Amino acid sequence: MNKESKIDLLLFLLPPLVVLSIFVIYPIIGTVVLSFISKGTFSLSNYYEVLTESIPLKALILTKLEPTPPWGALIHNAVWILISVPAVVLLGMILAYVLRYVFGSSFVLGTVFLGMVLPGVVSGLVIRFMFDDSIGIFPRIFAVLGVPMLSKTWTIYPQTALLALILGSIWLWLGFSVTLYSAGLDSIPSSMIESALVDGASQWQIFAKIIVPQLRPVTTVVILMTVMWVLKIFDIVYVVTGGGPGGSSTVLAMIMYMYFASSLEYHKAAAVAVILALLTLIPAYWYIRIVLKGERE
Amino acid sequence: MSQTQNKLVIFAVVLALLALVLSLYSVITLQSLASRITDLSNSVAGLKSDIQALSQQIGKAVPTQPAPQQKVKLVVIGPWSGDEAKYFQAVIEAYQRTHPNVEIEYRTMRAEDVAATMPIQFAAGVAPGDVIFGWGWFIAKMGKEGHLVDLTSIIKQDEYVSGILDAVKADGKVWGAPFTMWLKPGFWYRKSFFQKYGLSEPKSYDEFVQLLEKIKSIQGVKNPIASGDGMGWPLSDIVEHFIIAYGGPQMQLNLISGKTRFTDPSVRRVFENYLVPLLQKKYFSEPIEWTTVIPKWWAGEYGLYFMGTWITGMVEDPNDLDFFPLPESKGVVGGADYAFVPKYSKNVDAAVDFLKFLATEGQGVHASVPSGKIPTWTKVPVSQLWKPMQSVYTKITQRGMAILPDLDDSIGGDWQKLFWDQLKLLWVNPGALDSVLKTLESAQPKP
Repeated sequence: MNKESKIDLLLFLLPPLVVLSIFVIYPIIGTVVLSFISKGTFSLSNYYEVLTESIPLKALILTKLEPTPPWGALIHNAVWILISVPAVVLLGMILAYVLRYVFGSSFVLGTVFLGMVLPGVVSGLVIRFMFDDSIGIFPRIFAVLGVPMLSKTWTIYPQTALLALILGSIWLWLGFSVTLYSAGLDSIPSSMIESALVDGASQWQIFAKIIVPQLRPVTTVVILMTVMWVLKIFDIVYVVTGGGPGGSSTVLAMIMYMYFASSLEYHKAAAVAVILALLTLIPAYWYIRIVLKGERE
Repeated sequence: MSQTQNKLVIFAVVLALLALVLSLYSVITLQSLASRITDLSNSVAGLKSDIQALSQQIGKAVPTQPAPQQKVKLVVIGPWSGDEAKYFQAVIEAYQRTHPNVEIEYRTMRAEDVAATMPIQFAAGVAPGDVIFGWGWFIAKMGKEGHLVDLTSIIKQDEYVSGILDAVKADGKVWGAPFTMWLKPGFWYRKSFFQKYGLSEPKSYDEFVQLLEKIKSIQGVKNPIASGDGMGWPLSDIVEHFIIAYGGPQMQLNLISGKTRFTDPSVRRVFENYLVPLLQKKYFSEPIEWTTVIPKWWAGEYGLYFMGTWITGMVEDPNDLDFFPLPESKGVVGGADYAFVPKYSKNVDAAVDFLKFLATEGQGVHASVPSGKIPTWTKVPVSQLWKPMQSVYTKITQRGMAILPDLDDSIGGDWQKLFWDQLKLLWVNPGALDSVLKTLESAQPKP
């Protein structure tokens, strides 16, 4: 590479580096530095205090575990991941596969995808209505089935508030999953399925032995993106329950907001932000690895 | 990868590392610079207030600047929207009639959002508005930190309802101007509903329970009392009313100051003997968004609704409206909306002039429209109040009820949110009383 080319490259590299430094690197470093400052000195006390906080609306982990929430934001996020990831993967894959053979599938796909395009605040309101005892579909169904506990407004009871949010979020994120799986299904060569049919394979065998393995890269992406999305979730929690009742539906981002906007404790808010960022980095790292691997191939 | 590419990658990595180190350095430098600037501005603010205090001591109060003659634009930020904003607009228009050179733009922002977003903007030396409404505790805090214009010489303290300025005082200075006041006097009902079913206002707690039982037996009634929800404050208003009625006005004040703790047996008794039994018997509805429940209550799905005086401006026919407090109550929660002028306003003089109007004649204008508010400025005659509010005001004064500060608004901060959230829990799970009181006590400010 000659000298002129190097200068050209440097000129191209410099503007994005400057922009990244100002708007990404500086705030990140600023937040990390802020999280370690307590009473004017560098220490770990902000981390210690946010991790040991026991007030339900600010607790990351509640030591007194009971069968129903509140359990603390970290555990709520973990439960959320445990329920929503399998649901988003399974429902997304099945819906994408089944809808290929159903008349009017584009309308159903459009409805499912609606959750993805709605602003978080609007989605939150829709979730509120979905679980309201007078107009919500879920309480109505359980009223017909004769389950009194689930025929009430889910979002105001500590036993059901978190579950209502999780189910609502599954609807919101399903559009993303179905879209990715639909694209994945399109990429499977039809000759594979035709050969299997000629060999006498049933629809279930085709789905289990061909479709599912072929969709593995898509499944990995769906899992990682869902985990990252759940870790960062805030807007629907803020709108639907505000983390309550009794702190039974708090999440990490909500705790960060509480420290930042309610108690005006910016150093502790920064500490929670760093914890949240570190947790999000784990799936993000795997995601980037997969993307880079795909590019190399 | 070719050698040139390798070199380029190494070069990019070195550059990125350099950028990181530079960023770290600039973060630390900027923070130390910012703290020095804050120290300097605090010293200047201190000097200014010393000069002001000295001027007052020698009998020469700092004169307020007259409103400028040239065209000025003020941005006013307040919590009202919809009809409530319309009533506030009447105050703005009244001011503009005498100050045609002042253009006023009104923007809606809830007190929660003001408290959440302004501190950062103030720290950066900017303000999104010239006159801003906010919680009393927040104003006192911001004033103390040197972000607000000192209003001590603007507000004549003896012309206001006693104690109303306490919330916005800090370091012996007044940082906020009181606007009109709301009261949370008790349970509202439709006169026609009570007449139709032969119901009357209770004179004791037992009669109150009997009334609830009668309402419960009326066909079509879901619950005797509608419970408002939303951010959570409607439930806290009900609880405070029970505390004042059965713990006494002093208990309310002691809970605010932290002298009485939430786990105190006297506080527990109020909950256990009076409120929790009503929750257990489902006399209260589940929490429902407070504005959406109004038409349902008006249609007879609920008999009573505990709300502030602003409800008078939110119903179809305010003449069909009446209220009763819990019979044993000797106090009523009342509070004002407070406004302040940030130091960073570009039109401090015009803003202070408008604020002065809000704190005085403007209150008369606001109380004369269906805002459901009464003035905190004692110079406004009762006859100027909107008719339905005159009867409310008369009923409260006839009972000789003390006006007390709002418990959660006075404490503020994240305790307020915790209080609201724990009450939501209590409403659906009255059995959690002990845990609720313990949680509230653990975060309650110490005296």
